[in-house]
Amino acid sequence: MRSLAAHGLALGVPPGWEGRIQRRGVSFPVERTRSVVHLANFALPEQRDDFGGGVTPAMRSPDVFVVLFEYGPESLGAPLFASKGVPRVTADMFGSRRLQRPLPGQLGCQHFFTAGGRPFCLYVVAGSRAYLPRIVADVNAVLAGLDIEP
Amino acid sequence: MTSAILVVETVVVVLLTLLVAGLLRSHAEILRRLHALGAGLDPDAPADREGPAISRPVDLRTPGSETFAAAADLDGAGLRDDAVHVSVVGARRRTLLAFLSSGCLTCQGFWEAFADGRGLDLSADIRLVVVTKDGGEESISALRRLAPPHLPVVMSSAAWADYRVPGSPYFVLVDGPDGRVRGEGTGANWDQVKNLLRQALDDSHGDGREVRIDRALLAQGVAPGDPSLYRTAAQIAEDSRA
Repeated sequence: MRSLAAHGLALGVPPGWEGRIQRRGVSFPVERTRSVVHLANFALPEQRDDFGGGVTPAMRSPDVFVVLFEYGPESLGAPLFASKGVPRVTADMFGSRRLQRPLPGQLGCQHFFTAGGRPFCLYVVAGSRAYLPRIVADVNAVLAGLDIEP
Repeated sequence: MTSAILVVETVVVVLLTLLVAGLLRSHAEILRRLHALGAGLDPDAPADREGPAISRPVDLRTPGSETFAAAADLDGAGLRDDAVHVSVVGARRRTLLAFLSSGCLTCQGFWEAFADGRGLDLSADIRLVVVTKDGGEESISALRRLAPPHLPVVMSSAAWADYRVPGSPYFVLVDGPDGRVRGEGTGANWDQVKNLLRQALDDSHGDGREVRIDRALLAQGVAPGDPSLYRTAAQIAEDSRA
């Protein structure tokens, strides 16, 4: 695995996968944006929204797209982010109604958590149920190598 | 006395004439050799002009190296404070790596060509990725102005070393599924690089030329098995006489 690190986040990228760790630009000087991680087992398009707009419509059955989206400190302590530590995913966490943008055949998974004192949403889009076992294993391998600095 | 002065002056004039002629000839030879090396001084010279000058891609494969560098994924920084990992080895498609810089004059033409992705006439199974040197060796503000938003740009001096890039602009074509470099070289403009790319594809896939010929024949209504494909030279000559 090749490592990718920026903005207090570090993770391994499996062979054949792509990754970006970025922060969106700000429109106003007082504005502050947070980290967004995008990972995929296919070529990531450059023009993509935080939660996969511009990405998921082109996905194929074996494809997986992973988002790790950081929220601001005002979200700390909120019940939504009560889960502590980097999570793992299971097949029963995926469903077609958990997609930000429902597309035929695709399944989504969302999990909010806090790690390193930082609140995150893990969002995963699977290309199809047929490939879900392998996708779950691959995503968990990535999550096992995720390091979040406080 | 006057005659002697006239003779001396004549000799001096002749010598100066010879000297100027020699200098002009030397200058012309220098220009001719520079032109042959691809450093022609005429920016408006047509790119498709015949001859040994800048019209052909110049192979800049690393001297002394009989093989291409081993292909490697790209790890580096993006242009907006981001970390980037681009998969090249094992990717589903081929990747054309364009090693460019913000400062080189020849690169400007490539940045402009890349701004309109549709005009590149790149096969759908080839992904174009621009690789520049690290931020410390580049002008990031200039790169932000030059890079079109749809194009992946990775700042990675390590990639330049991995692919043994001799200078910019330089292009490397990597076959993703087998993870090997299929061709590399440079050119003065995008048309030249496309020719280089076509040669690399023909070299790497023996059927590339055949596919192109088949497509051209089909476009003219000549399908496989067409009787016209099996005429002898004598028949063709006879038809042309008739």
